[in-house]
Amino acid sequence: MTHSSTSMIKNPGHFSISDRLRNALVVFAMIGVATFLAGLRVDPDRIWASFLLNHFYFMSLGLGGIFFASIQWVTGAMWSAPVRRLSEALSAYLPVVAVSFAILCFGIPHLYLWSHPQHVQGDLVLQGKSGYLSSGFFMVRNFLAIAIWLFLTHKMVRNSIAQDQDGNYKWTAKNRVLAPGFLILFGVTFTMASFDQLMSLDPHWFSTMFGIYCFSGLFYSTLAAICLLTVYLKSRGKLDGIINENHFHDLGKFMFAFTVFWAYIAFSQFMLIWYANLPEETGYFLHRFHGNWKGVSLFLLAGKFLLPFFILLPREAKRCPTLLAWVGVFMLIAQWVDVLWMIQPEFFAEGPRVGWQELGVALGFLGVFGLAVFRFLAKNNIVAIGDPRLSESVFHHHQ
Amino acid sequence: MSKQNLAGVMGIYENPHILVEAMDQVRKANYRYFDAYTPYPVHGLDAAQGLKRSPLPFITFSAGLTGCILGFYLQYWTSVIDWPLIVGGKPMNSWPAFVPVMFECTILFAGLATVVGMFLLNRLPNQHRKAFDPRLTNDQFALVIEASPGVDEVPSSAQKQSKTYKPFLESEVQEFLRRTGAKEVKSVYTEEWF
Repeated sequence: MTHSSTSMIKNPGHFSISDRLRNALVVFAMIGVATFLAGLRVDPDRIWASFLLNHFYFMSLGLGGIFFASIQWVTGAMWSAPVRRLSEALSAYLPVVAVSFAILCFGIPHLYLWSHPQHVQGDLVLQGKSGYLSSGFFMVRNFLAIAIWLFLTHKMVRNSIAQDQDGNYKWTAKNRVLAPGFLILFGVTFTMASFDQLMSLDPHWFSTMFGIYCFSGLFYSTLAAICLLTVYLKSRGKLDGIINENHFHDLGKFMFAFTVFWAYIAFSQFMLIWYANLPEETGYFLHRFHGNWKGVSLFLLAGKFLLPFFILLPREAKRCPTLLAWVGVFMLIAQWVDVLWMIQPEFFAEGPRVGWQELGVALGFLGVFGLAVFRFLAKNNIVAIGDPRLSESVFHHHQ
Repeated sequence: MSKQNLAGVMGIYENPHILVEAMDQVRKANYRYFDAYTPYPVHGLDAAQGLKRSPLPFITFSAGLTGCILGFYLQYWTSVIDWPLIVGGKPMNSWPAFVPVMFECTILFAGLATVVGMFLLNRLPNQHRKAFDPRLTNDQFALVIEASPGVDEVPSSAQKQSKTYKPFLESEVQEFLRRTGAKEVKSVYTEEWF
């Protein structure tokens, strides 16, 4: 059936969280700051590793938000029109990334071996890389990447919000010009950020697939976060008559697809290194397949891939918001474990460490992330009400 | 060619909305065999027709799983049991090297089984049901209430006992289809192959 009247859709308006939730998020943020300051006194190396883990994890979620929205503009997607604003809301966290990266710069001596001149001297490989792996260049190029993300996100989200007022197609057209540029720059800059911030923890090791590996986790967790936010707002009655089980079905298919995509990329990276068996490459996996790290690696295989894969396989599962929300929570945890798995073996060879240092800082970032996202939703319409494709999407049905 | 074998009564509709509504009435009237013929997929028609979900996904999944296991077995048998050969200093059962082939076998089996399953479930190829009217591939929509099951359509005993259906009476059906908004109603006859 075709419906074309926009007036049939009631604008759900803005969304304000309860005072209790807001207070909880503020408390989380304060716990994070307290943990970080205490951790700096107790064990600086460990707290910096924890900071890097959570910085990178939440940076991926914020970037994933604008990446998802850009994909929708580039493709002119219809199905996603009611949830696109929620992905834009995730990108409201990106300004905080500039702050957290600035803090991270103080941790460079604790995190990166290449920042110690006495370590680089006498090591021919690191001397060869010293032009690239130097603190100054590291900061400059990463701040440049963050500036690009902030600038283009600001422009595209502003266009999207302006469309709420007049429903003019010209705003979509503007974003259709900006989004491809962003996607290309995102591919380059995010690969660089993951090479710099995570891969250079072991400055000898390299994998050309590392960027796409980090991207697969980024999109995996972003889809889970968008789905979770959609289910939450729907359960608050804010999306009634706008989001139906068909939209959840599409989100579920996306989550399912990128569960497979992560497994594909993770296996490809592993198999190429395993097959070639070159000494300068195998160390990364040797560390992660021994001691207590073996269990974490097996958890990633079973928990990050097999479990969501089989749960999300049936059609009914993808159309059930409650189940999707639980799978979403699980996927977000699995992604956190994956980032931990990329970082911690470089510091703690014997096994993973998840204690107050890791959980406290994670809570802190979660608090700030939640406050940023919900502040955006309190200031703006939670649905892109002026999007020309919205009415088509609200009534869209699958065969 | 004989005009003896009555296949059913066809109603021709001008747009998909009327067709979906007519289909809804036909389902409620409790006729046993009926189907729609449209130039393109019409949204909502499946529900109006009361079609259940296809069992095809289960065929695809089972075949995919079979392909995955057979793909592993093929490589395990050749490189561990039948002709053990050390390659690159790796163990006989080097499963990471097997995964791409297992994946390909999964896709191959699942893909082929889906195509074959689709043909079987749709009872294709079918030489007895030709396009009843050339307009149905252009801009018209048809609904056919069939007189009896097709030659290749043997009703299962479970279906037979489940409920009683409205009997097919040519003139009554013609009148019924006219009431549902068909702009043209006609009886159609089976054509034998050549």
